Amino acid sequence: MNSNTISRVFIMGFVLAFFAYLFGPLIIMSITAFNSSAFPRVMPWECFSIEWFDVLIQDDKLMLGLRNSLIIGAGVVLLAVPIGLAGALMLTQVSARLRPWYYTIVISPILIPGVVLGISTLVFWDRVGRMFNTGYESIFYDGIFLTILGQATFISAYSMLVFISRLQRFDPALEEAALDLGATNVQAFRKVLLPFLKPAMGSAAVLAFLASFENYNTTVFTIISESTLTTVLASKVRYGINPSISALAVIIVALTLVGAVFFEIAKRREDRAAKAAAQVAAGGRAQAARTYFAEPALMLFVLIFCAGLGTVYFAGTLGLDECKVAVKEEKKRRAAARIKERETLQMFQRAKPGQETGTGAVPPPQTGEAAKGTEGYQGIFAPGNLEGQVESDTGGEPAKGTEGYQNIFAPDNLEGQVGGDQEQKSTGQ
Amino acid sequence: MNPNAYFRQFFTRNGTALGTFLLLSVGFWMFIMILLPQAFMIDFSFRHNLPPAEIGGPQDTYTTEHYEFMVYGSAAAEGEFNTVDLGVFVRTLIAAFFVTLFDLAICYPIAYYLAHSASGGWARLMVLSLIVPFWVNEILRAFAFRIMFGSAGVINGFLMWLGVIDQPYDFIRENVALYAGLGYAFILLMIFPLYNAIESLDRNQIEAARDMGASWIRIHRRIVIPFAKPGISSGCTMVFMLSAGALAAPQILGGPSSLWFTQIIYQWFQTGNNWNRGSAYALILLASTIVFVLVMMKVFKVKLGEIAR
Repeated sequence: MNSNTISRVFIMGFVLAFFAYLFGPLIIMSITAFNSSAFPRVMPWECFSIEWFDVLIQDDKLMLGLRNSLIIGAGVVLLAVPIGLAGALMLTQVSARLRPWYYTIVISPILIPGVVLGISTLVFWDRVGRMFNTGYESIFYDGIFLTILGQATFISAYSMLVFISRLQRFDPALEEAALDLGATNVQAFRKVLLPFLKPAMGSAAVLAFLASFENYNTTVFTIISESTLTTVLASKVRYGINPSISALAVIIVALTLVGAVFFEIAKRREDRAAKAAAQVAAGGRAQAARTYFAEPALMLFVLIFCAGLGTVYFAGTLGLDECKVAVKEEKKRRAAARIKERETLQMFQRAKPGQETGTGAVPPPQTGEAAKGTEGYQGIFAPGNLEGQVESDTGGEPAKGTEGYQNIFAPDNLEGQVGGDQEQKSTGQ
Repeated sequence: MNPNAYFRQFFTRNGTALGTFLLLSVGFWMFIMILLPQAFMIDFSFRHNLPPAEIGGPQDTYTTEHYEFMVYGSAAAEGEFNTVDLGVFVRTLIAAFFVTLFDLAICYPIAYYLAHSASGGWARLMVLSLIVPFWVNEILRAFAFRIMFGSAGVINGFLMWLGVIDQPYDFIRENVALYAGLGYAFILLMIFPLYNAIESLDRNQIEAARDMGASWIRIHRRIVIPFAKPGISSGCTMVFMLSAGALAAPQILGGPSSLWFTQIIYQWFQTGNNWNRGSAYALILLASTIVFVLVMMKVFKVKLGEIAR
């Protein structure tokens, strides 16, 4: 009994830790969207603000990428859903000998790395374009066209799997009955099988759109000179981060949650309807279906959502300027303290005979000494002193404003630049 | 059966319109989107990197130079191995292998719990909350890990507050963030095959084993894992192939001094301007991951047919 309790506690702990791993990063990212700090972070909380959402909306590049992503998503849905349907139907008709071969070929795009799919699409259409002797402005070099084809290669396989799993639940007796009653093959398909597959079409379309919308590996090769939301995001994330990306994430997470809640409720209604139908069939009384407004969970969710939105809006606009001024003052005070501290240090060094502190680079041994010297004061004057320094060497983020000269003496000052350079090397169009 | 009769039967079965639709869409998908591009890429990887004007000219011959470059480096360094590219290649495969193991280790208990212990509503909520994070963009997920693991991030802050470390630890340079992010990215692909396999196991088998006194570990080792083997291997195959071929997470989360193999491919295309070599490298990646998966299947005695069903 006792060991049972322990193991139960252990299991619940594991499940909780797992979901913390799943949601933690998203929650923390969402929180950073509301911090006015120019670097996305939670810890030195500056001011509660929604200004990053404005920055996001005014970002033309991102908006252009979003437009292209929507076009590509629509194109992929239009291409991948019919192909997936045809692929699934074909699987039921292909002869037993060819079946494994056929299945292997059409399922392979799921396992082939997206990078390889992108490259092969690019190379293939480049060759085709060359065959027809067309210029670089022709459709074979159009990023959107190529991306739709490249993504549809594997997304068709996803949608095929959706159709296959629906087809497995199809009762062939229904089609036989239709044929026995005198329907032609085509009629049986249109009146029996197609309506049965309709829900699968919906979910295949949603899946195809989402897969297209978030794809990066294939897109980055096939997009050529155009851009999509993901490619713009990727270049933004690599060359300098700011919380407007977190703001975008907040929007996407919120939309996802809303979608998930509606999906769950729709499913429950369906279940309930099926149960009610079974009851009626068994001679029970029919229950009136509840409307969306009668779903307590949904109404609660909507209320919380609206309340949250309202709070965020008011809190984000009220008192933001005062808070910012205060933070700025605080930063200035710290910077001044640091400068003063350095000046005293330099005066102290100059007073020492035989040591020369010129402009420019400081010789290594002295740097060490200086750093050692400052360490004592840093604890008193500037508790957050090291942070800016650390950021600039991991993020490759250009140092800004007052933080710019604080790390002149830092021994690993150059490393950040090296890191940044290396990242810049992989730039490209 | 002769093909003509086969087609006639096909069209009488489906009608002209539907039959044409099926043949055209599947034909377009199989040949124009899958097979021909792959064939062209293989052909392309065996050709010299030429300026557009010379393509199709006398210079345009077959060569294995791009594959040789991967092994030996440039011709100037004769007799020496291309340690940079080979090192990155091996490291990528090893890291992808461990990412797969990590995912298997954390997903197996969850899949088992979901399939056999969680009750109706709770299980449904769990499945839904498993899917939700994966509707969020791949780049944004990597970005979230960057915020978490950054020097001023939450994890460093927490560890410093606990007093475990007194200086921020550089998780990004040490690639901890990269492995955590890669593991995160493919959880869903591991959990669903596992769940499908474990769920179809008859609960009575577990009960019977327990009644006969088998320990908790023994039940898993002798009953659940052998039964779920096809699910385990298809999950592992997908996670391994996709993490070895990942590009977004290494670009965003990789340390400044470490590369993922796909990043080298990317560089040949974007900055190296040598598409032929990029194609050759991509094929090397594809072929070696497939071989690796086949070898692992042989080692663990899994048949390909069991996975494909």
